[in-house]
Amino acid sequence: MAVSSPSSHLLILLLISCLDWPSTPASAFLLDRDHMTTSAPTEPHFTECISREQETFRCWWSPGTFQNLSSPGVLRVFYLKKDFPTSEWKECPHYNYSNRECFFDVNHTSIWIPYCMQLRSQNTTFINEDDCFTVENIVRPDPPVSLNWTLLNISPSGLSYDVMVNWEPPPSADVAAGWMRLEYKIQYRERNATNWKSLATQPHTHQGIYGLHIGKQYEVQISCRMQAFTKFGDFSDSIFIHVTEILSGESTFPLTVVLVFGIVGILILIMLIVVSQQHRFMIIILPPVPAPKIKGIDPELLKKGRLDDLNLILSGGGMGGLSTYAPDFYQDEPWVEFIDVNAEDADAGEKEDNQGSDTQRLLGLPQHVSHHMNSGCSNTIGFPDDDSGRASCYDPDVLDHDTLMMMATLLPGQPEDGEASLAVEEDSLAVEEGVSTSERTLIQTQTTGPQTWVNTDFYAQVSNVMPSGGVVLSPGQQLRIQESTSATEEETLKKGKEGEDNEGTAEKKQKELQFHLLVVDPEGSGYTAESTARQISTPPCSRMSGEGYQTIHPQAVETKPAAPVEDNQSSYIVPDSPQSQFSAPVSDYTVVQEVDTQHSLLLNPPPRQSPPPCLPQHPLKTLPAMPVGYITPDLLGNLSP
Amino acid sequence: MNMMTVKQQGVWAALLWPYLLTASIPLDCKEEQGSLSRCPSISQEKLLDRVIQHAELIYRVSEESCSMFEEMFVPFPLRLQRNQAGYACITKALPIPSSKSEIQQISDTWLLHSVLMLVQSWIEPLVYLQTTLDRYDNAPDMLLNKTKWVSDKLISLEQGVVVLIRKMLDEGMLTATYNEQGLFQYDAQPDMLESVMRDYTLLSCFKKDAHKMEIFLKLLKCRQTDKYNCA
Repeated sequence: MAVSSPSSHLLILLLISCLDWPSTPASAFLLDRDHMTTSAPTEPHFTECISREQETFRCWWSPGTFQNLSSPGVLRVFYLKKDFPTSEWKECPHYNYSNRECFFDVNHTSIWIPYCMQLRSQNTTFINEDDCFTVENIVRPDPPVSLNWTLLNISPSGLSYDVMVNWEPPPSADVAAGWMRLEYKIQYRERNATNWKSLATQPHTHQGIYGLHIGKQYEVQISCRMQAFTKFGDFSDSIFIHVTEILSGESTFPLTVVLVFGIVGILILIMLIVVSQQHRFMIIILPPVPAPKIKGIDPELLKKGRLDDLNLILSGGGMGGLSTYAPDFYQDEPWVEFIDVNAEDADAGEKEDNQGSDTQRLLGLPQHVSHHMNSGCSNTIGFPDDDSGRASCYDPDVLDHDTLMMMATLLPGQPEDGEASLAVEEDSLAVEEGVSTSERTLIQTQTTGPQTWVNTDFYAQVSNVMPSGGVVLSPGQQLRIQESTSATEEETLKKGKEGEDNEGTAEKKQKELQFHLLVVDPEGSGYTAESTARQISTPPCSRMSGEGYQTIHPQAVETKPAAPVEDNQSSYIVPDSPQSQFSAPVSDYTVVQEVDTQHSLLLNPPPRQSPPPCLPQHPLKTLPAMPVGYITPDLLGNLSP
Repeated sequence: MNMMTVKQQGVWAALLWPYLLTASIPLDCKEEQGSLSRCPSISQEKLLDRVIQHAELIYRVSEESCSMFEEMFVPFPLRLQRNQAGYACITKALPIPSSKSEIQQISDTWLLHSVLMLVQSWIEPLVYLQTTLDRYDNAPDMLLNKTKWVSDKLISLEQGVVVLIRKMLDEGMLTATYNEQGLFQYDAQPDMLESVMRDYTLLSCFKKDAHKMEIFLKLLKCRQTDKYNCA
């Protein structure tokens, strides 16, 4: 029995379904409504059976096209409850003819047991095998109740917001006892829209709706179904969600934006102002540091390190500047301009006298120097032909070389030999006294060689005059240091030199002086110009001795017509008062102590007796050419090449 | 998400129950000498919750399996046969309440025993169903996995209900099943369609009974927590 009944039942079902399917006009209500075809005349049939809470259910029928059966009571509802062991057709327990409904109450409702429905008229039985169901499969729960919403948040832009919707399960559904397990589905739309938006089905009694727009009104509905079942119940009544622009919180947002932009704009404006007025601000905030500057000195000198010129200038020989440094008698020195130095003759003179004397040595070096100097250009540096005091052939390279040489002489990179030798030489030259061989040797020994002489400068600044009559020459600061040490030597050497000089030719002196003059930087040769001019001017008048003054014979200058530099005077200026005075006869080098108001050089300070006849004439007349960087075009013609 | 959590909890519960039942010991198992792990003890409420979760999950998976099977193998005209499968269900003879009014009238004991009967009666058919589905040509793996999973979980559910009965009702071990071999018969169905329909009926009936089990257990829980307001 048990074995055959299932299979037989199945076969019966199959046969019936195959037979009845094409001819069944009214399909079972359990199928999708879409499959219903209403073209053909329809029998009385059940439209739907629904259970709301899985405890009772209702079935509705319709007479179809058989209007004669539409009157109440004509059609009767029978149901079959396929219960074990026996099952029979029973009539509907409760009729509701007004809406053609058959209601099954709790006592007549069994779950999980199939029900089959049929309509019977007096004569016929309208049956449809498809109208069988189990109650749990026809459950359509009531819609949820107590819908409400709360605002979750508003986006920072103030354009959208989120809400949380809460509800309660339908009271008819016994969810608390676990009789039914429900899940819910929300759908919402804008007020005037046509399409609903559905959210995912979920079993909780709350759900969030995100991304709603401010100012728009939304309509929300909820429906539910039993979990793991297919039929949803009706939708609940709509609730409306509407959020308008509100709250100071929202309004502050644009304010803050405006503030921020305003501040940024002001900052940009300030930046622009600062940038445009950058220079003024820079001056106000960071005042320029005054560069080292001394009146009357060209900063170029400072750059190139021409210390000899600087020293000369500082000592008071500059063109109009350094009035603080220079004594009063140096204020206006027009004669400085006309001082000229002829270096070429000096070179020639050098070559002729190539002896082992000191002077020759002295001469020998500048020879090298002059060579170097002449290599660059036709006019040597010491041959100024310009008002500015610079050589016409202003070759920076050559000048640098010369400056280097001068620097070497003044501040010789060589050891003390050069310095001492310089001092020795110059002092010896200046000394009127005779030169002893020892002194010569001293000189000679001290002269390390031509190389040293090359770098040394014959131009030395007389910084001091010894009481014995020697002149302390200081080509530079370094030499000054050695003044005290080599004072005695200087004196003796000077004496020796003087002797030699006296013996020697004036030419030598000229040459020496010339060589010295050659080395001088034309720029700073103002010193020399003055000194030489004064020296030259004074010699014929002052042949004084004993007080340290020494004169230079201007005749020596004249006797050497070939010498372009007639003023082969030593171009030494003693910036400070002489400390020593010569008592020896005049030598090539003298110390200029003062300059009269008449622009005459006073080699030795006389006891208030400046020999008027010894007043030099205007340097312009007596000294056509001076070894100086200053020379005016007028003097060019006077210069003897 | 709900299913996943239920599944995870079910798996976790399933892991627990072998500890409880393999040695045939009560809920508070004795510690054997040499055992590496202590027997975990669990409260009655938690156990009932887990049993309910098991039942819910089993029902959901069985419903999915039935739908999947129906779509793949059952011809469209025959799809409503499940509603008429009352005759063919193997558990129709069981004295199980079928209406809410009846359920309200029966006791907790009977409720639990009803669940146990249902569970025990479906263990074998599900195993059989697994073998028959393997014979299908184009049975999807998901269907096979689901049915396999359901059969496994049903065993766990049986163990849990047994423990519950012992714990709640203070009854001894129930070693005997109600219907050992009375309900299910192995019939060789040469016809493919018949085989399909039989399997379809089997799945539909099991789905219905799983739903029944779930509701019974929930009602039992409601009675445990709040006796007066429950159905």
